[in-house]
Amino acid sequence: MNPVNISLLVCMIGLYGVMSKNNLIKKIMGLTIMNGSIVLFFISIGYRKGGLAPILEKGTTGGNPTTIFVDPLPQALMLTAIVIGISVTALALALIVKIYSKYKTLDIQQLSKER
Amino acid sequence: MVVHIPILIIISPLLAAFLVLLTRKYKIILSIASLIASIVFISIQSSRILYGDKITYHLGGWQGPLGINLVVDELSLFFSLIVLGLGLLIVVYSIPERHYGRTYYFLLLISLSSMIGVIYTADIFNMYVFYELLSLAMYLLIAYPKTGVTLRASFNYLIMGGVGLSFFLLGVGFLYAMTGTLDIFHIAEKMSVAFNSNTRMVLMSFVLIATGMGIKIAMFPLHGWLPDAHSMAPSPISALLSGVTVKIGIYVLIRVTYSIFSAETFFTISSHAILMVLGAGTLLFGASMALVQTDLKRLLAYSTINQLGIVLIGLGIGTELGLIGALFHVLNHAIMKSTLFFCAGIMIAEAGTREIKGLSGFNRQQPAITFAFVIASLGMIGIPPINGFASKLLICLAAIEAGYTVLVVIILVASAISAAYYFRVIQVLFSSPLEHSPIPTHGEGQVVHRGNFFRAWPIYILTAGCLLLGLIPALGISLVKPAVGLLLSHVVP
Repeated sequence: MNPVNISLLVCMIGLYGVMSKNNLIKKIMGLTIMNGSIVLFFISIGYRKGGLAPILEKGTTGGNPTTIFVDPLPQALMLTAIVIGISVTALALALIVKIYSKYKTLDIQQLSKER
Repeated sequence: MVVHIPILIIISPLLAAFLVLLTRKYKIILSIASLIASIVFISIQSSRILYGDKITYHLGGWQGPLGINLVVDELSLFFSLIVLGLGLLIVVYSIPERHYGRTYYFLLLISLSSMIGVIYTADIFNMYVFYELLSLAMYLLIAYPKTGVTLRASFNYLIMGGVGLSFFLLGVGFLYAMTGTLDIFHIAEKMSVAFNSNTRMVLMSFVLIATGMGIKIAMFPLHGWLPDAHSMAPSPISALLSGVTVKIGIYVLIRVTYSIFSAETFFTISSHAILMVLGAGTLLFGASMALVQTDLKRLLAYSTINQLGIVLIGLGIGTELGLIGALFHVLNHAIMKSTLFFCAGIMIAEAGTREIKGLSGFNRQQPAITFAFVIASLGMIGIPPINGFASKLLICLAAIEAGYTVLVVIILVASAISAAYYFRVIQVLFSSPLEHSPIPTHGEGQVVHRGNFFRAWPIYILTAGCLLLGLIPALGISLVKPAVGLLLSHVVP
């Protein structure tokens, strides 16, 4: 099983969590799992077997065209995506704190009954 | 200076957003000035773009697939005009609300600036980043009153929107894996090769991106967040959400289906049929749910779902006429729905209730606002002299031309249903007032003065726009036509 398939599987686990859990915190955990799986997905796209870190130094390439490097772009993208994921999570948790202080419950079934 | 105009259009509201946080007095002036600056910048360039010139700006001087490009072509020009024009009116409309502090204007400007970012950027990951920024600002703006319902609506939107954008990012990952580049136009060049060698992955990425955007534009089975979020938010934000933000999702969908996957691939995998079916479902569902609402803003929110269905049908038909109709309907819906939400904001503030029943006799209090509401709702239904009619007619004609007569029947049925629910509201507005009219219960006992200059003028301007586009539809079509020509010119040889 290659990492791409694993990451899609993890993504589905996260989606399951978001859709089926009643607790708001658990929904956010599902969302975070989805985010993590996407990070894994991108990193595994950029992975090359036996690849070096993509740092150009004197001597690393050495004019040798067969040297394999890991694709650096997905890694750079994922740094951004992780930051975005964290800010979404932080906002969601802040909302949860506010919701809890208003309704004293985090269960979505009970929340939908409240007016 | 002229070279840097595309980035200046994005930077100007973004810079103003952070300056607004520093000042208490000049927040409104700053935000309006920055938006006007952006409008001036875009209008300097607009004539050049409408003549078929494409402006490409290399961020930081990095060319081609390495760096991020900003591309202003006819399609992005069209959408950015909607965003900036309505954004300015929304800021003006929010002026009388004294309790909207600095953070409100900060978030509003951030959201507008990131919308323009989504529209202009040619880098698909950059598009994701801007979209996520836009969504974060929107979640916060919906929750701005900090009451229980707004917090819940915002949280629902956050969950759905988070899942949608995750799907979008996953789709971007598939695109990158196939083509090795993130620039939209470079992906489009390599797409035909990828499609022949790797059809499944192309399908997968298309499905993921379309589902993600489907959540954002409240396509029928994924619409759950929209009624709450659009109806519970403060009225200017409702107008922003319904009039502008969902249009960004439509823009991304159009860009992805027509520029990246190209019209031909789009038809080969018969996704146009799926779009049409989903559009018809969205249309009928939105119409029938709006029929049973008793809350005015909720009714308007379901009406948004209804109208988006029409746009989706137009996109799904995919002929030139269908696309013109769809884009023209995007413009018309943006104008009409903002008018309706602006009017609804005044009505709710005056009557002190969100129930439609409580609005009786509003005609006597404010005839001008009632007139605007009637004009805009007639446009929503599609009565001839108003703009909604022109675009609906175009889409119906396109459907007949392409041989989908059943779609015409569906659109007409939905129009009849929307006539039913809008006339219900209009009838209440003109009926005699109730004996015991409830005392207005505004937040902090603040009475918004009737005929307030800043509240009324945006409505008048938008209503004039409705009538103008309805009487002379050629104006709107001339703006839309170059964009459609651009979309259909990308057919892979």
